[in-house]
Amino acid sequence: MKAPKFNPGWAGNIGEYELTEAEIRGEDFVGERPLEGGHPSASATYPYMLETKDPKAKLFEGAYLERFEKIVTRYPEMRAALLPTLSLAQEVRGYVSPQTMDEVAELLELSSAYVRGVATFYTMYNKSPVGKYLIQVCTNISCNLCGAEDVLRTFLEETGTELGEISGDGCFSVVEAECLAGCGFPTCVQINSKYFENVIAEDVPEILATLRNEQSTDPRKKSLKE
Amino acid sequence: MGYPYSHASEVSIISKHFGDPDARTLEGWKKRGGYEGLQKALQMGPEEVIELVKDSGLRGRGGAGFPTGLKWSFMPKDSKKPHYLLCNADESEPGTFKDRELLRWAPHQLIEGCAIGAYAIGAEQIYIYCRGEFFEANQVLAKAVEDAYEAGILGQDVFGSGKRIELTVHAGAGAYICGEETGLMNSLEGRRGEPRIKPPFPAAAGLFGLPTTINNVETLSAIPHIVAKGSDWYRKWGTEDSPGTKLFCVSGHVRRPGNYELPLGFPLKELINEVCGGVVDGNALKAVIPGGSSVPILSADQVEDCLLSYEGVQEAGSMLGCASVIVMDETTDVVHQVMRMSSFYAHESCGQCTPCREGTAWVTNILKKLLAGKGTEEDLTTLMELTDQMTGTTICVLSDSVAAPVQSSIKYFREDYQKLIKGGEVNG
Ligand SMILES: Cc1cc2nc3c(=O)[nH]c(=O)nc-3n(C[C@H](O)[C@H](O)[C@H](O)COP(=O)(O)O)c2cc1C
Ligand code: SF4
Ligand code: FES
Repeated sequence: MKAPKFNPGWAGNIGEYELTEAEIRGEDFVGERPLEGGHPSASATYPYMLETKDPKAKLFEGAYLERFEKIVTRYPEMRAALLPTLSLAQEVRGYVSPQTMDEVAELLELSSAYVRGVATFYTMYNKSPVGKYLIQVCTNISCNLCGAEDVLRTFLEETGTELGEISGDGCFSVVEAECLAGCGFPTCVQINSKYFENVIAEDVPEILATLRNEQSTDPRKKSLKE
Repeated sequence: MGYPYSHASEVSIISKHFGDPDARTLEGWKKRGGYEGLQKALQMGPEEVIELVKDSGLRGRGGAGFPTGLKWSFMPKDSKKPHYLLCNADESEPGTFKDRELLRWAPHQLIEGCAIGAYAIGAEQIYIYCRGEFFEANQVLAKAVEDAYEAGILGQDVFGSGKRIELTVHAGAGAYICGEETGLMNSLEGRRGEPRIKPPFPAAAGLFGLPTTINNVETLSAIPHIVAKGSDWYRKWGTEDSPGTKLFCVSGHVRRPGNYELPLGFPLKELINEVCGGVVDGNALKAVIPGGSSVPILSADQVEDCLLSYEGVQEAGSMLGCASVIVMDETTDVVHQVMRMSSFYAHESCGQCTPCREGTAWVTNILKKLLAGKGTEEDLTTLMELTDQMTGTTICVLSDSVAAPVQSSIKYFREDYQKLIKGGEVNG
């Protein structure tokens, strides 16, 4: 039996519960998260919200300024807001350049050197631009046992890129990821904010085709200019 | 119930509503008995709650298996300083995938457990440190937290008791070491996620230098049930030293991988052969890692009588860790997999301690050299010595985590290494 590509959801899909993928992923349940973040305690980053990233966008304005201000209220000191603020900056600009780090430092009244030291510690901050779709293939042990290296190789071949580079059309970057906590559904691949599970090498062309054709019909995906 | 498959041997307590979308909503959760534990706890004194959790024998599910009630009792009682409860949702140990399911299917169960914990230790602020990659779990949690605030379950006056409990979801940014408790605290404070030297222990000086208790998602998810139904009820399952049920994350070469909630003390062999449908393609079993990538590997012989409790796995020669069972069949190239694990640790070492920073890189290099067919018998001796020096010499146990798979694999699968040295291929 070939496992389904997306999270199989739940054994209930063969019986008790008929779930769509959106229901399994929680999208239907969560609904539209407000751009300004909702309750301060729950204000996180929602990287799917912006269709286009603008590396020159202001830090921060409009709904993003509101979200930043909420984040700062959650901690007894400003410094603790650093990680969420960097994430927010990346949500807007697509990556965290040295200059962005400096701007964040100023916002939080920290030194630039300090912010750079922290930002470089964490892998989720892209230090340079990435393709529209950042494809992270887990090659750690559980996935590795089930063919993750083939999946990675196929992604590289099909997108025609080198590991960590951006493809010619600007669409894809393929990187190796450490365990994504989906080990029971190997190979686990994260593309932007979405998990693809049970991926085998043969599935790769179809996944890429879907991404290439993906139209911005998702109402939640907004352009920063709106 | 197991996810994505279920099995008749399971005892579903914390995973009971996996796959049921209605149970994620506040109303749905209440209909299923949700928040009764919290309401009951608020009627009891904090001390009484701690005693109850102590009696239940619940042990931390984050890896170390430290008794939860005892940990709570370390919090200072008459201090005027603010206290914190931290929930460790940074799940990133290779082989482990239980916390993500708990977050996405039972967010209110976790919120309830957190609130009870905060009440017991006298904390008014809870932070859930959620792994940054879990965007989906993060949103589900965000929605649940908002609903709980709206309903007066969180906030200034929890269920009209006059108690104030705030809960904030904080997303990480990708670093395995932030799962270590003090690394997590540093990370939450907006620093590099480097573990701290202990003592002081978190109960004395933790987050922002204040008394802090940190617990895993699974530990806190079990709390509402224990408080609602009592410690004797919880002790109906498991063993004397390892009471209750545990989510087992089975991955690798089995027919039905996934999460299964089973009583502790369940036989490992039965888990693989019955619950998970056996090894793929009818192959023979070669090795099993019973507790996530940082515990010693067991050979097929050791698997025979191994019972999955904290003490049982220790007897068999490994550790239960977070009960992440990674199954490898006869086609597995053990040396390659050990190299894959050590390169993970080399990548994730925070770099503070020399034995760890240098050791993880050297171990990986030597293993790569062996795999390239350029190794010598001497390299095996070097590996053993090197990993010896990496054990017990560092700030946190990440360094020891590399030593465990390397040493156990050389011990039980020396043949595989020797075939590489002689230039032969492992498994044809
Ligand atoms: C290197 C390292 C990584 C860890 N990663 C995690 C993790 O991802 N999740 C977790 O809950 N505990 C992790 N732990 C264990 C925590 O330090 C801590 O023991 C645990 O969160 C305590 O909760 P518990 O008592 O409920 O188990 C890690 C420990 C170490 C040394
Ligand atoms: S053992 Fe390794 S990861 Fe842990 S503190 Fe030392 S250098 Fe950092
Ligand atoms: S090993 Fe690939 S997701 Fe855990």
